[in-house]
Amino acid sequence: MQQPLDNDHFAKADEHPAELQHSLKESRQVLQVIFNQKELTLWENEAIAMANHSTRSWEATVEFVSSSTQVAKYLPFSSFLQWARSGSYLTKDSATLGAAYFRVGPEAVKHIQPNNLSRWAALGRSLYKGTWKSSTLSTSFFDLSPSLLKALSFPDLETFTNLIESLSARSYDLAGECLTIGNTVLGSMGRERSSFLILWQTLSENSWRDIKGVLETYESSVSGIDEPLRNRFLSLTNLLVLHGAKDTPRFLAQGGSALGTLKTVEQEHILDLCERLLKRSPTSVAAFLNNLSVVINRVSMPQLDFWFDHGVGILSENPEGGLAYFKLESKTSEQMLEGLSSSIALEGISNLLHLYCSGLSGSDIEVKESSTLAGKNLGWVSADIATTEGKNVYLPAMMDVFPTKKGNFDWYKVVSTHQVARLEFGSFDFSYDRPSTQFNDLRPSRALPSSSFAVEKEDQWITDMGHYFSQFDNRRIALDIFTTFEDARLGFLIKHEYPGIKSSYNSIQKHAVSLRPQIKALPVQQAIMEILVQFSLDEYTNLLVPRKYSKAIRVLAKLQRCLLDPIAKIEDTAESALRAYNIITKIPNEPDDDWQEEDFDSDDQFSDDELSEIIKELDDMNSEDPVQDIEYASPDAVDFRGDFKPELVQTLNKLREGTGMSADGDQQELDQDQLEQLLKDNPEMSEIDNKDMDFAALFAQNMLREAGLTQATSQAGQGFGPMQHVEESGGELDTKEPKTYVYNEWDFRAGDYKPKWCIVREKTVEEGESAFFNETTQKYASLLLDVRRQFELVMPEGFRKLRRQPDGDDFDFDAATEAMIDLRSGITPSEKVYWFRNKQERDVSVVFLLDMSASTAEAIDEGKPINHAMDAPKDPVEYMTWLRSRREGLVRRQYKRIIDLEKEGVALLMQALESIGDVYGIYGFSGYGRENVEFYVIKDIEESLTDGVKKRIDKISPLHATRMGPAIRHATTKLSRQDTKTKILFLISDGRPQDRGYSREGVEKEYAVHDTHMALIEARRLGIIPFCLTVDKTGHDYLKTMCGDMEYEVLDEISMLPHRLPHLYRKLTI
Amino acid sequence: MAKNNNAFYNQYTIEEYYINKEPFYLPVADEIQLFEAAYNGQIPILLKGPTGTGKTRFVEYMAWRLSRPLAIVKNNQDKEANAKNRIPLITIACHEDLTASDLVGRYLLDAEGTRWMDGPLARAFKYGAICYLDEIVEARKDTTVLIHPLADHRRTLPVEKQGIVLEAKKGFQLVISYNPGYQSALKDLKESTRQRFIAIEFSPPPPEVEAEIIRKESGCTSAHARSLAKLGEKVRNLRDHGLKEGASTRVLIYAGKLISQGISPKRACHVAVVWGITDDAEVQRSVEEIVTAIFAD
Repeated sequence: MQQPLDNDHFAKADEHPAELQHSLKESRQVLQVIFNQKELTLWENEAIAMANHSTRSWEATVEFVSSSTQVAKYLPFSSFLQWARSGSYLTKDSATLGAAYFRVGPEAVKHIQPNNLSRWAALGRSLYKGTWKSSTLSTSFFDLSPSLLKALSFPDLETFTNLIESLSARSYDLAGECLTIGNTVLGSMGRERSSFLILWQTLSENSWRDIKGVLETYESSVSGIDEPLRNRFLSLTNLLVLHGAKDTPRFLAQGGSALGTLKTVEQEHILDLCERLLKRSPTSVAAFLNNLSVVINRVSMPQLDFWFDHGVGILSENPEGGLAYFKLESKTSEQMLEGLSSSIALEGISNLLHLYCSGLSGSDIEVKESSTLAGKNLGWVSADIATTEGKNVYLPAMMDVFPTKKGNFDWYKVVSTHQVARLEFGSFDFSYDRPSTQFNDLRPSRALPSSSFAVEKEDQWITDMGHYFSQFDNRRIALDIFTTFEDARLGFLIKHEYPGIKSSYNSIQKHAVSLRPQIKALPVQQAIMEILVQFSLDEYTNLLVPRKYSKAIRVLAKLQRCLLDPIAKIEDTAESALRAYNIITKIPNEPDDDWQEEDFDSDDQFSDDELSEIIKELDDMNSEDPVQDIEYASPDAVDFRGDFKPELVQTLNKLREGTGMSADGDQQELDQDQLEQLLKDNPEMSEIDNKDMDFAALFAQNMLREAGLTQATSQAGQGFGPMQHVEESGGELDTKEPKTYVYNEWDFRAGDYKPKWCIVREKTVEEGESAFFNETTQKYASLLLDVRRQFELVMPEGFRKLRRQPDGDDFDFDAATEAMIDLRSGITPSEKVYWFRNKQERDVSVVFLLDMSASTAEAIDEGKPINHAMDAPKDPVEYMTWLRSRREGLVRRQYKRIIDLEKEGVALLMQALESIGDVYGIYGFSGYGRENVEFYVIKDIEESLTDGVKKRIDKISPLHATRMGPAIRHATTKLSRQDTKTKILFLISDGRPQDRGYSREGVEKEYAVHDTHMALIEARRLGIIPFCLTVDKTGHDYLKTMCGDMEYEVLDEISMLPHRLPHLYRKLTI
Repeated sequence: MAKNNNAFYNQYTIEEYYINKEPFYLPVADEIQLFEAAYNGQIPILLKGPTGTGKTRFVEYMAWRLSRPLAIVKNNQDKEANAKNRIPLITIACHEDLTASDLVGRYLLDAEGTRWMDGPLARAFKYGAICYLDEIVEARKDTTVLIHPLADHRRTLPVEKQGIVLEAKKGFQLVISYNPGYQSALKDLKESTRQRFIAIEFSPPPPEVEAEIIRKESGCTSAHARSLAKLGEKVRNLRDHGLKEGASTRVLIYAGKLISQGISPKRACHVAVVWGITDDAEVQRSVEEIVTAIFAD
């Protein structure tokens, strides 16, 4: 069966496993055809030699032998031999490597120049360093080789492999991952590959850890960038890395995706700008690109240029300031953008609109973003359309349709006026039984429930609106007509009642008309609905109408005109909609091609006769040929009028009031199933898959919750959410939680504020024992008496009788007598003959700000731990108990901490302050990070000294870090609301301000000191007297900077704090 | 009687200041009947309400109305006689330095020594005038107590310094006004003071009435008057949203007067309403938006 080789060979082959022998046999049969005898022998020799390299090299040989049959087809024998030899060398080093090399051979050789074969093998070899990890890496290199060779040019592959190799010097795992990802990423790259490889090279020298991230994010980040520009973008990135930029993946992702949203020309322009900026400040380029998306969202390209140039200007004067500018961490930058952009963010004007809407409607109307209502899942689904649910007005978060700020603001104003008009002019107050003012009512009277039968519970919950809509077969059409008519009525009323808004309203109507679809393209019924919408937008002339129905449309126009009357009510809308419904449903929804242009602005009066006439006409017209109707679709919404859901609002209001009353007057609870049914019957809900049970259930549940009919399940993340961790490098913070406040922070290097940098969270200290307060009072009884006396001495000065005044309550008899004597003796008497009670009242408010940072837990020298060994019981058993209890902290802490003294001082001061009646608040502060500055209320400034307050003092305890700036700013805010002549901010601390990220680049502690300084200056600008008291003996150095020319005191003897505090205070306020 | 001592101005002694011309007053409810009843029953009256709701005007109107001759005047002598029935109106603006002697009287120095001079309250007492203490809470509490003996059944005023007690002449009527809007613990009326009065509450009139008042007082067109009344109503909605009190009828009338003088409505509302009622920039802006919504030019 086989041709015998020479014995020696055969014998050697024989020693090898059967597997090898078997594949040798098989391959030889194939190769016999391709190779001549000599070549065949050479091949066989090669195989045997390979198998004899080492004990495991036969595995590689098997691969070699079986691959040979394929490889031989592609390569001339000389190259084949080279392939075999290269593999053989590899096998010598590692059988696994060899095996991998040979295994991919058939695939690889398709994509490789024969002369590169040995270099390819060498590349794989270069990854192998004799360890098993390196062998895995090298193996996977060979495994991926076919696709690599296919996609990359050989020089690129060499570079790539070199890069992988250098990476493997850091981490084999990382190198392996990058090899795999790199294979796909590089493979899909176009001409930018070489730039990318250069970037990689740079990265591997500067920040190799970023490589994987760059690879992973690369494709998604550059996908939007025009291909020829990717080169530039990558070389830019490369330069940045060379300049020491950090976090390249994030930069690539953010900058890339921001660039990606632009047009090619704009991308090019941005890259020009970047290259310009690069010369001045490479770090700014990264900042600029990272924030590009924010910036281009707000301003147009030419505006961006302007903003950019300004930034460059700042950069040349103050590099730090420029950097902050491009990071959008400076107020100048913020203001610049704000000034340039024509878009208006709701956030900035929501308070204004809140007041405006509340003013117009007379009820407290909150203005919120539409997304918050959509997020409640009550049935409103659109997150960017204006609407109202009967209590608040919801508006889109941003408006930039119009080219000017005023245009966009006017849009907001018109939209909110329109939404408020729904409340003001009673769009939700529809009452089924109330007669209309313009029509003879056609609404069939509601069948009164017979008293003998209990009414279905559900029926009591059907709203008047719901009852009205239930009269129609096609609720969809009825609703569309109704809302269109109602909007027309509101539009008229707004212009009538608020003439000042008329011109903006008209121009926005015009704008809305320009966005309307082509009437001609619609089937007739929809076309007529569309015409109604245009009527409602005050478009009555030059309308294209189907000739056949011109008369019907004329009647519809008259119907709508009936509503344009100051006394028309929602019931009139209902009546006219009812009539219009009767006309429109008679018109088939079919395509038409007979159109003519007509005007409908005549002032003719509508009459019911005309209606019956037209209905009869329509009946005749369409009786003969019933055409297949196209399914009716609602007209597009008019964006400025927003979402109008009268029935849903009525249902919600009804739920809120809980007015479902049964026949015998008992209040009945509506359960969820019934509400679901109601919602399903509601035509307004059909936007989202009407018949979907799940939605109905979801909405029903949420509506009940909204109306407060079920206990809202408290979910984690509501109210006080978990502590968020925000990177220091992040941007502005925002907060919607209650009792949280956002403050700016001063960056002294940039010379500008970082906008919205810190969140202060106000919390009330929990109550402890009132014992502490009482004990302190007792302990310092004599001191307290003294302090009180001193404070009370301040008081009478206020009510002293001032004698010899030119004006006053009554005569000062001494002076008067003297004056009389003078008069009699011919001397000009003094005019000062009155006494006057100087009622200059003390008018002081003060805020004490206590440092509650961890460092206040430090013990002070006085009263060192007295539990020293001397007190230890002699008896061994007792000793053990004593020791244990001491360890467990059961022995009352005998030494004093700084905070204890702060507490004592405060307790004393409180008593003293009570005696002179100054307004005062006591707060503590601590926190961790800028997003979490804790501001503890011990006694709020408006609060009186209750037992609760006394108990809170007990719970003052050392917590976290000291971010003074925001705490001072918050205290300042509280003080500035006080209406007193003298306002004092008294800061008691134990050291320099410090916190995570409360420094520049984590090293420059001066940052914190300067921010605190700025906060104090801000306070002084508001007429507040700041005073700092510190117990840090080494405090003189930074306090000079921190307080500037403001007063401060360093307490040498910490234990003097309780004594010193009241004295200092007295000195300050007199 | 008016003494024209000087061609340039009119000067009256306080007990001779009568309201001769009918002041314009549009009643909102039954306040006129209440006042008349209280006057006849010798009950002191407390007028409560925000500024610019017509408290002072009401007192003036009532002083005029109550002075009206009951019989038709037949000849000049009767006219003279009727003049005696006229009720003077003595208004005292209370301020925190108002002392008891400012009200009752004090000794003054003159060439001969000292001379007693009655305070306005004593004079009102002696002449049977309507004594109107405006913004009573502004006065100090010790001053306020002074009115206690004359605000109950006693109707007497002790004048310590002279050692006499004055008894009120028939027709003496005490009216005080008070704005609960500024309620702070410091400036509240003592319970004992409060309970000596009947209280008539004043609030901004309904829009139609207010429009009529504005039209009549300012002489602007009724369309403008209606718009101003609407503005007033909307701005009052902003109370508790940064406004202590809404726009009073008074400022609306001012705006109306400016408009009838040819100032553009928007500008007039600006200076009379927007800038007048608040210093808060945001609230100002909101009110301005309401103004621009209501007025077209």
